[in-house]
Amino acid sequence: MDNIIGEPKKAFMTGNETVAWACLAAGADIMFGYPITPQNEVMHYWTRLAPKYNRGFLQTEDELSAGFTTCGAVQAGKKAFTATAGPGNVLMQEPFGMAEAMRLPLLAVIQQRGGPSSGTVVYSQQEVTLTTYGGNGEGHRIVYSTATHQEIYDYVIKGFNTAWKYRFPTFILGDGYQAKMREPLEMYDPKDKGIEMTPAYPLIGVPGQIGKDREPQHLCNIYSLEEELYDVVMKVAAEYEAIAPGLVEYESKYCEGAEIIIVSHGVVSRAADDAVKILRNQGIKAGYFRPITLRPFPQQQLRQCIAQSNAKQLLIAESAYGQLERLIKQEIYGETIKIDNLFMPGVGIIDFDIINKVKSII
Amino acid sequence: MSLIRIALAGEGGQGVQSVAEILTEAAYNENQQTIYIPNFGLEQRGGVSIAFIQFSDKRIGAPKFNKADAVIALSGRAIGRTAGYSDQNTLFVYDSGFDFDKEELPKEAKKIIALPAVDTANRVLHPKVFNIIIMGAVIGLTKVVSFEAAKKALEHKLGHKFENNPDLRDLNYRALEIGKEMAEKSLQEEVDNNG
Repeated sequence: MDNIIGEPKKAFMTGNETVAWACLAAGADIMFGYPITPQNEVMHYWTRLAPKYNRGFLQTEDELSAGFTTCGAVQAGKKAFTATAGPGNVLMQEPFGMAEAMRLPLLAVIQQRGGPSSGTVVYSQQEVTLTTYGGNGEGHRIVYSTATHQEIYDYVIKGFNTAWKYRFPTFILGDGYQAKMREPLEMYDPKDKGIEMTPAYPLIGVPGQIGKDREPQHLCNIYSLEEELYDVVMKVAAEYEAIAPGLVEYESKYCEGAEIIIVSHGVVSRAADDAVKILRNQGIKAGYFRPITLRPFPQQQLRQCIAQSNAKQLLIAESAYGQLERLIKQEIYGETIKIDNLFMPGVGIIDFDIINKVKSII
Repeated sequence: MSLIRIALAGEGGQGVQSVAEILTEAAYNENQQTIYIPNFGLEQRGGVSIAFIQFSDKRIGAPKFNKADAVIALSGRAIGRTAGYSDQNTLFVYDSGFDFDKEELPKEAKKIIALPAVDTANRVLHPKVFNIIIMGAVIGLTKVVSFEAAKKALEHKLGHKFENNPDLRDLNYRALEIGKEMAEKSLQEEVDNNG
């Protein structure tokens, strides 16, 4: 692969620009997209960079088409990605469902905006349910929720590898703040960090005679018989569950002996991290847990954090009205810890909000 | 340097976002931690444009904040829009050239400062360097970046224009200097807040 970045170097840029550079460094062949705020600059930067590095871009007529063309390109063996937000993410659930059905290793970057409907063009964490379990399937996807530009860079590169290694559609879940803000990060070529990029390969039109040299490539998103579909979904579920323990990622701090555990994800975890430090300085033993993968969810690790603590309470902080909370409740079913919440749908959460909430409930 | 939070607000076209971009670029070049996020909602189309910027020597948490160390409001409307970001620790700065209802000023501030940036730009320099006077003022008020780093970042951003017209470079540097001095002087003056 090309030397894109050269020596690892510091940069100061927006999250959207970071996505474009990371896709370039990861060896992405082509992007398909349709404009929607706040992800537009992913397309803008990609279209500036792509011609210089012999990569492709196609702006389609809408998000349905952008999703399906991405599905098509990965079948042809191209590392393809798309980026969207809000109502665009709603439309893309149809092609994302196809990617689940046919095990297509596409990468999608979601920059969450306010909802429902057109909502705001600004920010939220209201696309958690949609990104993890959207579509008419079982949520057999991998979703990384990033918090910093460094993570956007790192997880875009990792995301392509996860997608092509396991053949599940993979998502980088950001938000409008991460998309639009500028902060420093380090850019690098994967090989300089010892990261080997999983090569893309065609899923159709592969050489060899069917029945003699190879099995048929059975990429199917519709079945005649109920039992056929049942067998396929059960097989996919089993494969997903088998790889899940190796895929989960999380951050866990100060759980030991904590009296309250604060759980958050994405950009809100930055505020939670500050809040926990301030609370501990004030003598309140707060613990911190952050799922990085929302699918699969690090449920064993969260249960462990609860077990290590003396906590009677779990506080879930999110810029949505309970989307992370629902995920957590289903994942830690059976735990008896009391669950409190700080729901601020569509607006940012700062350390002050979390500290106030903690003090009001302990 | 501990965390410094600045809200910079004005009308679209006044160059608020450019100032934020140049200042944070300067801080980044001085190896500080820095975050800049514009507001980019629909209000941006014909409304008050706000830049939220933060500087620190440590990792910075949430990209937005409730209360700022300095608020710089560059239009009559921007004063009312940003008064809520002010508390007893905030330097609240506005341009003395605008008409506005005094009721709009924040109830709480460490100090409320009126700067004649528009007037100075129009009379002494050139209307188009108004935002650079403001950038100088931010540096004078908060010391978030060194004067040299600010000049370097200006050069980086506007160098191509300076190449064509070297007088522009001088004009911008003077604007930066005048803004800085204007702000430093205002800090020494009698406290006139809590009105």
